[in-house]
Amino acid sequence: MKIAVCIKRVPEMDVRFKIAPTGTSVDETGLKWDMSDFDGYAVEAALQMTEKLGSGEVVVVTVGPDAAQETLRKALSMGATRAIHLKADPIPFDNFAIARALTAELQGGGYDLILFGKMSIDSSNGAVGPITAELLNLPCVAAASKLEVANGKGTARRELEGAAELLEFPLPAVVSIDEGVARPRYPSLKGIMAAKKKPLEVKPAQLGDVRMTVSTMALPPERPPGRILGEGVAAVPELVRLLQTEAKVL
Amino acid sequence: MPNNVLAFAESRGGDLRKVAYEAVTVARALADATGGEVHALVGGPPGIAAKAGVLGTYGADVVTVVEHPAFADYNPEALAALLAERSTGGGYRAVTLIASAQGKDLAPRVAGKLGVPLASDLTTIRLDGDKVVGTHPVNTGKVIATVTLAAIPAVVSLRPGAVTAAEKPRSARVESAAPSGDPTASRVKVTQTIAGNTAKLDLGDAPVIVSGGRGLKAAENFKLVEDLAAAFGNAAVGATRAVTDDGWRPHSDQIGQTGRQVSPTLYVAVGISGAIQHLAGMRTSKTIVAINKDPEAPIFKVADYGIVGDVLEVVPALTAAVKAAKGH
Amino acid sequence: MTQNVLFLLVLVAALGFFSYNAQRLVRYLTTGHDERRTDHPWTRLRNVVVIGIGQAKILREPFAGILHASVFWGFVVLTLGSIEILARGVFPAFGFDRMLPTPVHGLFLLSQELFAGLVLAAVAVLLYRRLVIKPRRLQGDKVHSGDAVFILSMIAALMVTLFLSATFERVVEARHSAAFQPISSVLAMMFSRVPSGTAGSIATASSWIHALLLLAFLNYLPYSKHLHVITSLPNTFFSNTSGPGQVGVMRPMDLEAEGVETFGAADVKDLSWKNLLDGYSCTECGRCTAACPANITGKPLSPRKIVVNVRQRTMELAPLLKGDRAEAAHAVLAGGEGDDAGGGTVGERAGHRLLDTYITEEELWACTSCRACVQECPVSIDQLDVINELRRNLVLTESRFPEEIQPAFEAMERNGAPWKFQPADRGRWADGLGVTTMAEFAERNERPDVLFWVGCMASFDDRAKKIAVAFARILNAAGIRFAILAQEESCNGDPARRMGNEYLYQMLARQAIETLDRYRVTTIVTTCPHCFHQIGNEYPQLGGHYEVIHHSTYIERLLEQELVPLRTENGKQLVVAYHDSCYLGRYNDVYDAPRETLRRALPVVTVAEAPRNRSRGLCCGAGGGRMWMEERVGKRINVERTEELLGTGADALAVACPFCMTMISDGAKALGSEVPVYDIAEVVAGQLTR
Repeated sequence: MKIAVCIKRVPEMDVRFKIAPTGTSVDETGLKWDMSDFDGYAVEAALQMTEKLGSGEVVVVTVGPDAAQETLRKALSMGATRAIHLKADPIPFDNFAIARALTAELQGGGYDLILFGKMSIDSSNGAVGPITAELLNLPCVAAASKLEVANGKGTARRELEGAAELLEFPLPAVVSIDEGVARPRYPSLKGIMAAKKKPLEVKPAQLGDVRMTVSTMALPPERPPGRILGEGVAAVPELVRLLQTEAKVL
Repeated sequence: MPNNVLAFAESRGGDLRKVAYEAVTVARALADATGGEVHALVGGPPGIAAKAGVLGTYGADVVTVVEHPAFADYNPEALAALLAERSTGGGYRAVTLIASAQGKDLAPRVAGKLGVPLASDLTTIRLDGDKVVGTHPVNTGKVIATVTLAAIPAVVSLRPGAVTAAEKPRSARVESAAPSGDPTASRVKVTQTIAGNTAKLDLGDAPVIVSGGRGLKAAENFKLVEDLAAAFGNAAVGATRAVTDDGWRPHSDQIGQTGRQVSPTLYVAVGISGAIQHLAGMRTSKTIVAINKDPEAPIFKVADYGIVGDVLEVVPALTAAVKAAKGH
Repeated sequence: MTQNVLFLLVLVAALGFFSYNAQRLVRYLTTGHDERRTDHPWTRLRNVVVIGIGQAKILREPFAGILHASVFWGFVVLTLGSIEILARGVFPAFGFDRMLPTPVHGLFLLSQELFAGLVLAAVAVLLYRRLVIKPRRLQGDKVHSGDAVFILSMIAALMVTLFLSATFERVVEARHSAAFQPISSVLAMMFSRVPSGTAGSIATASSWIHALLLLAFLNYLPYSKHLHVITSLPNTFFSNTSGPGQVGVMRPMDLEAEGVETFGAADVKDLSWKNLLDGYSCTECGRCTAACPANITGKPLSPRKIVVNVRQRTMELAPLLKGDRAEAAHAVLAGGEGDDAGGGTVGERAGHRLLDTYITEEELWACTSCRACVQECPVSIDQLDVINELRRNLVLTESRFPEEIQPAFEAMERNGAPWKFQPADRGRWADGLGVTTMAEFAERNERPDVLFWVGCMASFDDRAKKIAVAFARILNAAGIRFAILAQEESCNGDPARRMGNEYLYQMLARQAIETLDRYRVTTIVTTCPHCFHQIGNEYPQLGGHYEVIHHSTYIERLLEQELVPLRTENGKQLVVAYHDSCYLGRYNDVYDAPRETLRRALPVVTVAEAPRNRSRGLCCGAGGGRMWMEERVGKRINVERTEELLGTGADALAVACPFCMTMISDGAKALGSEVPVYDIAEVVAGQLTR
């Protein structure tokens, strides 16, 4: 069984971001980087599938700058077989261009399954997976919360608003992974050492023309400091009012 | 430069959904700027055509309805093929969808088929010359990106609720059309649809979480938390480690460092002091409300809104107020 | 004549058999890896004298301690007599009376007599204790008293035969002054009617039986937990648990080493020979388990079991590895009691290993690394060492650990703190206090007198932040030029290390050392005992050498030098119970400074002591990474400890550690108590006049 997992290097989200002086990107000073969360679930799902079968290859692919190789190595230390780095610096915002580059690499690779995270937690578009599926003309299930494969077929579960679907599809297929499929394993030191020796190919990313860009980045309006509205039952009407008008959650 | 806008009108179970009106509203605003028409596309089971006329109220000039039994359930491949086919050759400047669960699935497929990028989950949208410009929250909502899309058609999806459906009535022409290809020939088949158990919404999905802690004093009082969650309608119930350890709630309800880490739109902390281990599980919530009798409780430092008081009194009052606000 | 030849044969055979087993046991030790344990020989010798010969640790429990010490010292003294008896078996003319002047020989006789009496009396009490009183710690872990009762009976028999022999020799002929043989002479008077010939036979027979019992005893040792009779003194010599060097420091690990496939220990062959010697030396006394906070509260962890398992597994594996087929087929040597020893076919046993087959994950993760077990062990066994090495294997090689600690690992890796807080928020606690950062000092080309290392708890936890604030106020009031690292501080790595994640630990530690060295820091004060222990005692392994002082010691010094302006009026009488932090107390011997600090800060305070205090203090339950783990079994350790502290009737509880602060505060809440919990810094700061 040959599985490809497309992953992305993203910044750690548990920080207060600052905007770079150019105003078109986030200030990268002091940022820590890691694999996008959903991509981690996808890598774990792929590893569990090949482990269950007792054989198979998990190939991780990324479009990104040189630093993205760290992210590939992380996947290798979890247990992926080999890695492919499609060089692009910076990573374009244009999801079609990225899909184009991935398609050029994945086409003809003989993959039974191509996994993506349901969306990358930085650009948050959730598009690269399904677009790649269209370009490869493969069946696609997006945001699967459960995934199993057997005998050339796949079964998946998708969560809708207040309901869920069970799906069946033939392989090869493209699936994007949501939370709930698998919790990414913590790489053992053994895995980290082994990862250093696994193959990592570098190629230029064939992006083509880029038609979607980020023209500016800005911080959302400041969240007003929290306040105590009052004491006891008397404060309840004010709370409800604020939840409706200010926070807009009611 | 083409100047029509195609709006995808989402339906489920033979009825149009609220987001369909939002999609048309967006399309109307863009078409007003280009001087073109709004064409709405509906794909649904036989009988939906009778309900499609209402899209004119929101500004559609033409409503194209494709009726087929295969559209009774969400049929991504067939709908994507249909929408992509209709998007070519109609002089469309843009294709608008709403990023509902269905829309999030459909939009990229359409973009892929059309060979263009997708500007998804936009919170605002406008035209700028031959480009479409929108704002899009990135980095878990901590940064707002202004996205510029230079493709024709520009396939865009708007965040549900970002644009309020507005009535801008047009006399709409309702046409019927044939589906693209064979809608039953999907490679992905739905084998089962499982109706949601709204009583047990998962903590990871729930837009609202109401959580209880030691301040509730006894396990029986957790009913107040459940009632408040029910009043919100789309809320799940969480708990602190202290109360799960004491057996008031199952361990799977525990929110905190060693339990679930959640990030709902609204987090209501009832009788929770806000120890570091609990905060680690919920501080990324968009809006945090805290109710606690101790004004010094650490939870008030992270809460947006706080009420100091006895939770046993305040929570029932809040439940009643929320119910009233929701029009029950 | 034939008697003597026969005896010589028996002696040679017995000693020969003993040497055979002894060399086998020594060879089995080489199953473990090599390790140098001969540094600082004088310190080691001192330990042998104080702990071994002086019985210092066993006397921590006075009643059983005195009894055992009596038997032990008795045996040491009686060895002289035994030598005479054995020698006489071969050379009947041999005798100390021939070699020593009468008064000296008299003293020798007296010593034998008195100590034999002492031993016999002690053994009687010990037997009664074993069989009738049945103390709790002598039960459990599948140890049963059979071995102990047998040995006690053997010792009793040895003493009885000694007395019989001496008594009936006196009946035949009272060769020595009765003053030198008070007991035998009285007994001899009672048997004075026995005919000389019979008395002589009884004396000879008793002597023979005594000699044979002695040789049998000697040869029984390798098959019994009483092997400790031979191994305990060497074990104490080779042990590091009471020095030389700093105690409680985990083993260094070289993670860069080429070709290393496994990390930590999964089986006894991954442990060192010293761990295996620990296994031989365990007397199964159970003091470690009786002191273990996990065991006390019902968790499956028993430090005694860990050590006994090491021995059992050694006896199972070593013969296989060393080619001892007979022993391998049925492990009998010191396998220890219980059903696990030596069971199964050779094939099965080859598939066993220490981890999982003997010691389960649940036991290992229940440990709070409080070091109470190591503190109590009378033969200087390091139980914690085995637990740590097995944890290292679980995390580094097998990636097996409670899933709730994965977020802690990930947060340390990404955020530099064991929780998901933003690194940029470090230092926020100091807002408005006029605290200067190291960076600011550096910008001005100045250096502070001391670096205040705040630690992750005080940086992020709202309750613990108050400790940092209190301490900063004290430093300011005393006019100390101090700096904090603020956002440049990150986790010192202790939680990762204690949980077995040496890789993550070294990454964090090196980062911290790099920052500290960049600022050329030499002196550090900290409010957290874990930071204190880690940076001061374990960083040297990675090249970080700093003088680290815990804030209790630092404040005490400031108070001594009267640098801190305190209110001197008498407040109301306050009884404060102080809870000893494990990493401050047992790890670093800091017991008095916090108490002194309390007394100086609150002149009318009475410091109440919990029943388990100082080196016997019960852990709060947070150590060993347990702060990040779920406690699912038994009673909560923090509740157990808080109950004990509240039981003193104190008006307030005092701690010197932010983790203890959390655990004891939670404990008080759980018990519905309103008794406040303060850090000693808060107590002092509360008395500041400015």
